[in-house]
This record gives sequence, C-alpha cells and structure tokens, in this order.
Amino acid sequence: MNDGAGGVSSPPLVTLERITKRFPGVLANDAVDLELRTGEVHALIGENGAGKSTLMRVLYGMYPADEGRIFVRGGAAKIGSPRDAIALGIGMVHQHFVLVDPFTVTENIILGDENEAVLDMSEAQRRVSELADSYGFQVDPGKPVEELSVGEEQRVEILKALYRGVEILILDEPTAVLTPGETKELFGNLRKLCDAGKSIVFISHKLDEVLEIADRITVLRRGKVVGETRPSETSKAKLAEMMVGRPVLFRLEKPQVAFGDPVLRVEELTSEGKLNGVSLEVRSGEILGVAGVEGNGQRELAEALIGLRQPASGTISLDGRDITGRSVQDIRNAGVAYIPEDRHEQGLVLDMTLWENAVLGRHDDREFSSGLGVLFIRKIKELASRLVKLFDVRTRSIEVNASTLSGGNQQKLILARELETDPKLLIASQPTRGLDVGAIEFVWKQILEQKAAGRAVLLISAELDEIYALSDRIVTLYEGRITGEFAPDAQPEEIGVGMLGGTEQEVA
Amino acid sequence: MAAAGSAIAPAAGSGVRSDRLERFVGQALALLLSMVIALALGSILIVGYGENPIEVYSAILDGSVGSVDGIGYVLSIATPLIFSALAVAVCFKGGMFNIGVEGQYFVGMVTASWAALELDFLPAPLFVLAVLVAGMLGGMAWAAIAGILKVKTGAHEVVTTIMLNGIAISLLAWAINFPLKFANAPPGQNVDLRTDVFSDKVRVGDIGQYFGVTPGAHLSWLLFVAIGTAMLVWFLLRRTRVGFEARAVGSSPGSAKAGGVSIGATQIRLFLISGALAGMVGMQQILADKGYLGAAYITLLGFTGIAVAFLGQNNPIGIIFAAILWGILSRGEVALQIGTDVPREFIIILQGILILSVVITYQIAKRRLAARQLQRSGAAGALEDSTAFDERLESTGSQDAEEAARPSDGGGPG
Repeated sequence: MNDGAGGVSSPPLVTLERITKRFPGVLANDAVDLELRTGEVHALIGENGAGKSTLMRVLYGMYPADEGRIFVRGGAAKIGSPRDAIALGIGMVHQHFVLVDPFTVTENIILGDENEAVLDMSEAQRRVSELADSYGFQVDPGKPVEELSVGEEQRVEILKALYRGVEILILDEPTAVLTPGETKELFGNLRKLCDAGKSIVFISHKLDEVLEIADRITVLRRGKVVGETRPSETSKAKLAEMMVGRPVLFRLEKPQVAFGDPVLRVEELTSEGKLNGVSLEVRSGEILGVAGVEGNGQRELAEALIGLRQPASGTISLDGRDITGRSVQDIRNAGVAYIPEDRHEQGLVLDMTLWENAVLGRHDDREFSSGLGVLFIRKIKELASRLVKLFDVRTRSIEVNASTLSGGNQQKLILARELETDPKLLIASQPTRGLDVGAIEFVWKQILEQKAAGRAVLLISAELDEIYALSDRIVTLYEGRITGEFAPDAQPEEIGVGMLGGTEQEVA
Repeated sequence: MAAAGSAIAPAAGSGVRSDRLERFVGQALALLLSMVIALALGSILIVGYGENPIEVYSAILDGSVGSVDGIGYVLSIATPLIFSALAVAVCFKGGMFNIGVEGQYFVGMVTASWAALELDFLPAPLFVLAVLVAGMLGGMAWAAIAGILKVKTGAHEVVTTIMLNGIAISLLAWAINFPLKFANAPPGQNVDLRTDVFSDKVRVGDIGQYFGVTPGAHLSWLLFVAIGTAMLVWFLLRRTRVGFEARAVGSSPGSAKAGGVSIGATQIRLFLISGALAGMVGMQQILADKGYLGAAYITLLGFTGIAVAFLGQNNPIGIIFAAILWGILSRGEVALQIGTDVPREFIIILQGILILSVVITYQIAKRRLAARQLQRSGAAGALEDSTAFDERLESTGSQDAEEAARPSDGGGPG
C-alpha cells in the first residue's frame, strides 16, 4: 500500500510552489513547496497551528496566497474561490460537516448543483446510488442526514465532492470525529478512491493513522516544511520529533503511589438503557481506565457521575457518602471535578471571556461572589490570571472570549479550572480528543500528577493508547456493562475482547 | 503547544485596553454606518415621492428634537420603551424570546390600577411605590406562567407568551368592565369605559415644567427610573451571579449545566425579572398621562420593545439610546404629516430599515472584530485550530450557496 500508484516517475498532479500566507502577526505558511501525485494519499501532518489547514485552504481557494504559485496538471492555476477549485477538480471536506439535517442524502449531495428548476428526485437518487456503488460506499441515498452516524455523514460529504467531479480530495482531520471502526471503514474507502485514480490530501496529527494510510508524508512545523518521507522510511517517534521539534515521550513515567481507600464506588448503576448495571471502584492514588468503543455508555456514565443525568437505579458514593441523584453543584462541592468529552458542549461557554469561564462552576463560592450574588470581578480575574499562568494557556489576555483559544488551550483552561478545586475525584472523559501530540502530553502529565497527589481518577477513553499510558487498572465498557477487568500490562487483544462484549470470565 | 517551556506570558494591560477600545470604536462606527445606510436607503424612497431627503429629514429632526417641547415628547415616548426593551433583552440574554411583554404590561396596568384605587390610605410616596410594585408583580405573575410552562412542560415561550397576550387583553377588558369599573359616571358625559380617576397622590410628577416642557408631553420622573433601571440591568447581567448564569445558559446550556447551573431555575428567574420590567411599561400612561385605566389604552409598546431591544443590540445602555432614537422617529412622524407630502407610513419603513441595517452591520462588525482579535491572539495555534477557526474566522470568509444552508458551520466543500 505504501507505494501506491504515486510512483516517483509520474508527473505531479498539483504543485504548490513557495506558498507564503501571512495573517496579521503570524506567518502561517512560509514558502511551502508540496507535490501531489495522481492516485496517492499524501498526508500533511503537523501540530495545530503548523499551517496545514491554511495551506490546504489556499489550494481550495479560500485564502489568496501572499506569495507563491499553484500548478494543476502542469498548468499555472489561479484559484480565487472554492468554485474555481471545484472547477479544477479540487474538493475539500472540512472537519465540521456542512449538511442540512432534515434533507436526505441525495438532496444534500445535489444541493447547490441542481441542474434544472424542477428536480427529478428519483433520477438524482439513482445517480447518487450509482456514484456510491461505483466506489463501494455504503450509504442509503433516501435517508435524512439527521438519522446518519458521523461516519455516514462524512461519506456523504465525500460523495458530495465526488458528485461534482472532484479528482483531488482534501480531507481535514477526517478521523477526529470517527470511532475506530468508522476510521477503518474510511480508510477502506480512501483506498478504493485511490485505486480509481483519485488523489487525496490527508490532514492529520494522528501518527498511527498517517503511517497506516499514507503513501507519502509531508511534515509542517511553524509554517515550514520540515521534511517529506514515506511510512516505510520512518516511525511514529521520528514523525513526532519532526512535528514537535523535540523527542516526544509516548510513554510517561507513572508515579508510584500507594492506593488508598476507595474514593468512588458505583454499584449497579443503570440509566435509560444506556447503562445496564455498572459497578466499579476507584481508590485514591489510582487511575481507573474505562476502555470501550464509543457509544457504549461512556458519556452516560460520566454524566451520571457528575450529576448531569439521573440514574434509574443503583448507587454512587464518594468517600462512603451516597451522592446518587444529587445536583451537579452538590457533587462538585463534594469534591468531584469533571473534564467533559465535549469541550464546547459541556466545558466552556465560548462566547464568554476566559475569566468568566475560569470561574464557571465556582461562581457560587463566597470567595467569588457575595451572598447577594454580586460577583467579585477582581478576585475572579486574579484566579483566571493564576490559572492561565499555571497551565500555560496561550492567550493574549484573559479578556478575550474562550472561542479565540486553540483546542489545546481550551482544554488547558478546563483542566486548570477543574483541578484548582483540589478535588477528591477527577472524571476525565476523552480528555485528549482532537488535541495534538504536544497538548496530549501535557494533559497526560496533569492527569498523572493528580494520581501522584493521591487523588482518584476515572479515565474514560476510546483511545487504547491513552488507557495504557495512564491506567493502573483497566475495565472495559460494552453496551452499558463492565465486561472485563485487566491489569495495565494486559495484551491489547485481551482488552479488545472485552471491548466487544467478549467473555465475562475475567470480571472481578 | 508542545514547546511548553518557552511560555509566551499572557500579556495583560495594554493589549486588553486596546481590545476594549477597538471593540468600542468598532461598535460606534458600526452604529454610525448603519444609520448612514438607513438614511441613504430612506432617501431613495423620499426621492421616489418627489421630495427632498434633506428637507424631510430636517423636518423630522425639527419636529422632534428641534424644540424643548419636542425633546420632552421624545423622552416621554422613550420612557416605556426602555422598560419594554429591557424586558425583552433580559430574556434574550438567557436564550429566550419573550414576545409576551405586551400582555405582561397589560396585566401590570390592571394590578397597578387596582392598587391605585384601593391603597389610597397610604401616604403619597409609599402609595406610588406600592402601585409600581403592584404593576411589577402583575407583569411578573403573567411572565411566570410562561416561564413555568417552559421549564415544567417544555412549552416554547414564543407560543405561550403570544397566547397569554390574547388572554391579557380580555383580562384587562374584564377588569375595567367589572371589578375596576368607575363607580360614578360623570353626569351628562359620554365617557369611555374606564376606572375611576386615580387620586392625585399617586400621579407621578410632571418634570417637564422644570425644563420648560409643555405639560402635554407628560414627561415624568419615570424617565429617570427607566434610565436607572437600565443601569441596574446592566449591572445585573454583567456583575452578578444571576446575570452570569443567565448568559452562560443563553450561549451554552450544556456547559452551564455541567458548571452546576440550574437551567430551569435560571429561566424562571429571567422570566420573573423580565415580567417585572414589563410591569413598568404601562406606568407612564396610567400614572403620568391618563390618571386612570381606560379602554383606549396605548397598545403595542411590548412589540415595539422587541424592535428597540434589537436596535440597542440587547445592551441595556444601548437600549436607552435606541429608545430615544425611536422616540425621535415617532415624534417626527407628526412633523412629517404637516410639513411634507411623504406619507406617515414612511416612518415605519424607516424604522424597519434602521433595525435591519443595525442588525446587519453590527453582525458584520462583530465578526470582523472577532476575526481580528482571533488573528491577533498571536499564537498561531489559535489561528488554525479547527474549532476556533472554522466557527469564527471562516464564517466571515467567502460563502457560497451550500455554506448558506448552514452558515454557522462555516466553510463548505464543493
């Protein structure tokens, strides 16, 4: 696979020549050269802010380049808008999909490309079916998009591009939103596209995936190309070092801490068919990793524990005190901190300033507001400044809205806020989702520090890497039940069995 | 993010100040620009009528702020609109649309009238206060119904408040027909259905006399109450727990909830505050102007409040100015009829154009400012991060048909 159709001899399909793009105060792309060959998957990797998306947005006509030239099929191309790009056969699928939910798959695909005033829907549907079949894509053209899974929605986005005759497909972090299974399926589909002669630019920072799917890899750092390589010639560690500019530890040293008394004890917890009798225990100084394919009750478990979801039955106790069914405020006050799997949905209020976000959840403390409810702005800003400094949140000031922060910095802000309260228990749900290597390392270190400080940590993650890197004990969650308990040195295959429901013989 | 060692210390001080200054200047410019656009579009219409735009606009200005009396009228018109727009804005900040200010102030007028007729035994200052409180309680009670229905049953506030508006009209009609109907019809006169005239003790003072404004303008100290209330609402939204929670619930209910904020309690609280503000809307007319509650009461102040709130961008201080601007246009309508051939409906069109252009230019200005601050936030990380970038910056970029289908999601593929 590594040496697909893109042999060295074939002429480049797209050539970017010394592309430079500046934003005020930032050199996003600095004389970047890139070649894309017919039939290859070309991975573009780099940390957030390295300039990969900017570069591809230049190619897709969303930004004009300040300097440099673009050649498509040997000819100089002037790409002033996405429309021009599509006319040249260049399509881009963004990380956030742009679909109309109530519309069917077919309606979404033809939207903006309808040929006649009166639409012949059955004809359109037939054409979409044909298109999907020709690449072996599994998708029901008559289904409304709101009923699709994320993976299916992504397929619709890709089909949308193909429907417009795209030959060159740019995928911006396509796996960020996918489950491992969906990722596998996506990769299968990408291979089929390449076999059919399409070329793909794959933007990512997940190194394992890049090594699996790419024919060639270009690494960007701070707007510059730092190297081009092939999966057969490199390794994860080498790629990471190229990206970050220093060696990255994929395994952090776990601090040795004696486990104490159970801090969290969950017994037979059930909730709306999503949790079917979950029992588990986390001791102080211990990180319990909950592994499992997403959608098996992880979100519900976290939400029930922090009080966002009322359990139907079962008990949750903290330090021996029953907290089942208590409000979020009560549970937080009892010493539980929460890192939600969705930073934007349950973590930050993006339209509010950093200092306002820094106090969210503690704004009721007498330290930050009076009995009558007047906020102590100075105190809150002091808190925010302290947190921002302590966790190295990169921002110009605490007065800007949380939306201006990068994903990694948003996560740092949440961590800072949650850990500041000196919790007894930290619930970390998919804590590194969407973050790049450097930020992941930071978050992992922080979680390990909680353990070192004798706190209990419940780590819920779909990334087995993460589970292994942090956990002292691992349980698998499948269809709302704990299906296995494993030592941190268990084989991935064993855990995989538990993640798929497997045998329950190992249940402790 | 990786090179965590070489920390870029978050700059405080000057950067913050320049941000604020930029935001302020930007918004002021946007407002100015939107007025210019509105006036320009209005000019086209005026020219269509064969009139001279400059003459028409100066007639409007002359008739409104061209004299002391005119200013008195303008401020008197603005007074209830400030309350009404504040009522709308408070709910809006919490992500809710209170269309029911109209009905809430009707009910407030009924309860205030009852108090004005029944609590005559109180000494004057206490009496007035009691009447105002009664008005606010009436508005609160009416708003509470919508709030409770929303929280307990999920009934959408737009639907319930519209229906409650209808009921409030009937409630007011019933009140002046039966329990509050005047006891002694003035002999020999054909009077409208109404309550008895309130005691002089409860009439709010005419302050126009101190400024040489005609008593006909009914300019009262309620204007100062309105301005003070706007400042209080600003304080409430920006500096208190209630406002903090309201804004959090309004822009990210999930994050607010995970932060321990009760969404339902916040929503009911906002409806109560909104209702209390709405209860003040009718006070100008029954206490300063008429001195009784009659069948010919002034309506539509609640709906106009929605427009004024939009014009003021739901900012309490902006609302004061928006209400005054609205007053200028409303008052200018009279001058328009006398001095020009342009039909009075032109004012309504102009008001509409003004709201549209303010909303649009503000939105554009806001995005530009957000994009600039985003770009300037230095760390390239913020620039290219998918979330911050896609949702903020990109939405200012080129948009084609597909993107328009779901504009909040930013750029779209071909």
